[in-house]
Amino acid sequence: MKLEAKNVNFFYGDFHALKDINMQIDSNSVTAFIGPSGCGKSTFLRLFNRMNDLIDGTHLDGECIVGGQNIYDKSVSVDELRKTVGMVFQKPNPFPKSIFENVAYGLRVNGVKDKKIIAETVEKSLKQAALWEEVKDKLKKSAFELSGGQQQRLCIARALAISPSVLLMDEPASALDPISTSKIEELIFELKHDYTVVIVTHNMQQAARVSDKTGFFMLGELIEFNDTKKIFLSPDKEQTQNYITGRFG
Amino acid sequence: MQKNKFTGKRANQAIFFSLFRLMSYLVVGILFCIIGFIVIRGIGVINWEFLTSAPKDGMTKGGIFPAIIGTFYLVIGSMLVAFPIGVMSGIYMNEYATNKHIVRVIRVMTNNLGGIPSIVFGLFGMSLFVNKLHFGDSLLAGSFTLGLLALPLIIRVTEEALKAIPDTYRQGSLALGATKLTTIRRVILPAAFPNVMTGLILSIGRVSGETAPILFTAAAYFLPHLPTSVFDQVMALPYHLYVIATSGTDLEATRPMAYGTAIVLIAIVLIMNLLANLLRRRFSK
Amino acid sequence: MKHTETELLELKKAISDMWSLVHSQLEKAKTSLLTGDEELARVVMSREKRVNAFELKIDSDCENYIALYSPVAIDLRFVLSVLKINKTLERIGDFADGIARFVLETDGHNQHLQLLKELKIEDMFDCVLEMLEKDKLALEEENTAMAGVVFTIDNKVDDCYSDAILVLAKHITAHPEDVLYSLNVVTLLRKIERIGDHCNNIMEELVFYLDAKVLKHQKTAQDKDTE
Repeated sequence: MKLEAKNVNFFYGDFHALKDINMQIDSNSVTAFIGPSGCGKSTFLRLFNRMNDLIDGTHLDGECIVGGQNIYDKSVSVDELRKTVGMVFQKPNPFPKSIFENVAYGLRVNGVKDKKIIAETVEKSLKQAALWEEVKDKLKKSAFELSGGQQQRLCIARALAISPSVLLMDEPASALDPISTSKIEELIFELKHDYTVVIVTHNMQQAARVSDKTGFFMLGELIEFNDTKKIFLSPDKEQTQNYITGRFG
Repeated sequence: MQKNKFTGKRANQAIFFSLFRLMSYLVVGILFCIIGFIVIRGIGVINWEFLTSAPKDGMTKGGIFPAIIGTFYLVIGSMLVAFPIGVMSGIYMNEYATNKHIVRVIRVMTNNLGGIPSIVFGLFGMSLFVNKLHFGDSLLAGSFTLGLLALPLIIRVTEEALKAIPDTYRQGSLALGATKLTTIRRVILPAAFPNVMTGLILSIGRVSGETAPILFTAAAYFLPHLPTSVFDQVMALPYHLYVIATSGTDLEATRPMAYGTAIVLIAIVLIMNLLANLLRRRFSK
Repeated sequence: MKHTETELLELKKAISDMWSLVHSQLEKAKTSLLTGDEELARVVMSREKRVNAFELKIDSDCENYIALYSPVAIDLRFVLSVLKINKTLERIGDFADGIARFVLETDGHNQHLQLLKELKIEDMFDCVLEMLEKDKLALEEENTAMAGVVFTIDNKVDDCYSDAILVLAKHITAHPEDVLYSLNVVTLLRKIERIGDHCNNIMEELVFYLDAKVLKHQKTAQDKDTE
């Protein structure tokens, strides 16, 4: 499913957090957002499942389009949107429930009652998240017994269970060790066959490794959006170059 | 002259630490003194009959069974009143209210409510429930009055319990397309449940020991039978204690009974507090 | 300045030193060739070892920089181009060595200095030396404005080469006894012409580094597009 931002301006109260952003994100690709802290990349990411709605005093101008539909249109139901646009957060945030119930949660809250369907979907999602082999014998155990990397993959499985079309990831590997990180990255690479993946990361090498396109944000502006190869070999803008080569600030 | 530059402040510190330690031991000591005092005086009367029979012979003989049951009913009644209201307002304040001013006003008011002397609750309960609403001196009126008393604590504890739930749970649930209500019902409340229960038990402890609010609203001096409806008067442990300590027919004869009653009351409160602690520790693991 | 940038500057300094060394090798080779100075030729040959050692050092510096700093964008392009320029400079060093060997090992070289003059070998040499210098200047000033000049000089070198071959052919017809020497001279000319090509490559690398443009084989790619 394609994503598009048209003349997006976003405000936290008086603070102009995103300035006139236009972007088109292809389906079945991985797009990475990079930039210094506070540059607006996470804010921009959260526009696409309307997570910013949870913050008081925010205001959006412009259009965010998911699959041809402006998601800030009055007729759009936020809950339905979030079933289509899944999200994985920076810190693994499994619920204080069993591994099985964590993955089944999305199904249950969306009214799926058939036990067989739930069990099948849980297994499929865990397999997709490359976690099944590690947890298949302890599905009833608490999710907190898993390691950080496993928890994060559980959260990915949880998001996949309700079969979204888009997966937003907000620094999904920043709290993980290198081995877990590489598993997550491998997973992201696999996921793009079926999903449109957008990932915010502070780790530029990670952006370089997993993404097809990279957007560089600074001070609320989209400085450059281009093929990842182009960004990391010969960016067009000097600000991009200064940032990715570490000459920033 | 200092022998070693690293030992300079040690003596000073030692004095203060000993002082602090002494003070905290003192608190524990006082508690044990009180309990010891009461137990020594009253343990003699504690037996099965004391716990299971009604007072006899102008309260000089018999037991405190109706008072135990009365207290039990009052606790249940007051919790039935206070728990739903308290938890719901706690949820509203932490999860729904978007206007920070309103939340602050509610919180300040709630705290003030908690600061009102319990005798005032008693008076208020009498004028509202007993007279205005014609509940009469009854279990119902007493429950409502005690419920009001327990409300601030329950609201407070609920709010704190909800506040302790990380926002990441809420975001995680909402991001899966769950509505706010579903999120609260399925994720937030189950996670906050142990702490809310702790609050509930603490307020049970508080309620079961209160005398003043039931003085004018529910408590009977002496009832030969157990209450049969919510409009009956009840006996209650704290009030019974007050009665037999101050206005019995033979104060000297009832003194051991008073201490026995005190033991039962303290035991209930202590057990409730211990239970609360246990629950908290068990779920926080 | 950040320490990563200091590393880069040191790398730049090293490649610059390598450049000077190769340049002086080439100059000495030229003098020894044109004057038949065998002593100088020996100096060039002994110094060739230093050029090789220098190449290895810069190579490992580049490898370390990539391994430790994972450079991207302009830094990555810089290191990649340094790697290639380093290799190319070493080749030019080899040619200087080859020319020195020619002076020492070709029989009767000293009798043919006049022929070399007629072949305008000095001009050719000056051209490639100028190219090498301009390349170095481009790196030092981080400016590729000279690229066009360098490419023009290379064309001149190519022209010189073809002219020289014609002159040599005439000479062989006139002096059949010089055939063997002349054939050796052909390889010599070829070497100098190759140096010009290498200088061209260096400039292409610099353009890649500084302007992020890939010039190499661009013509053929364009040809394909138009087809």
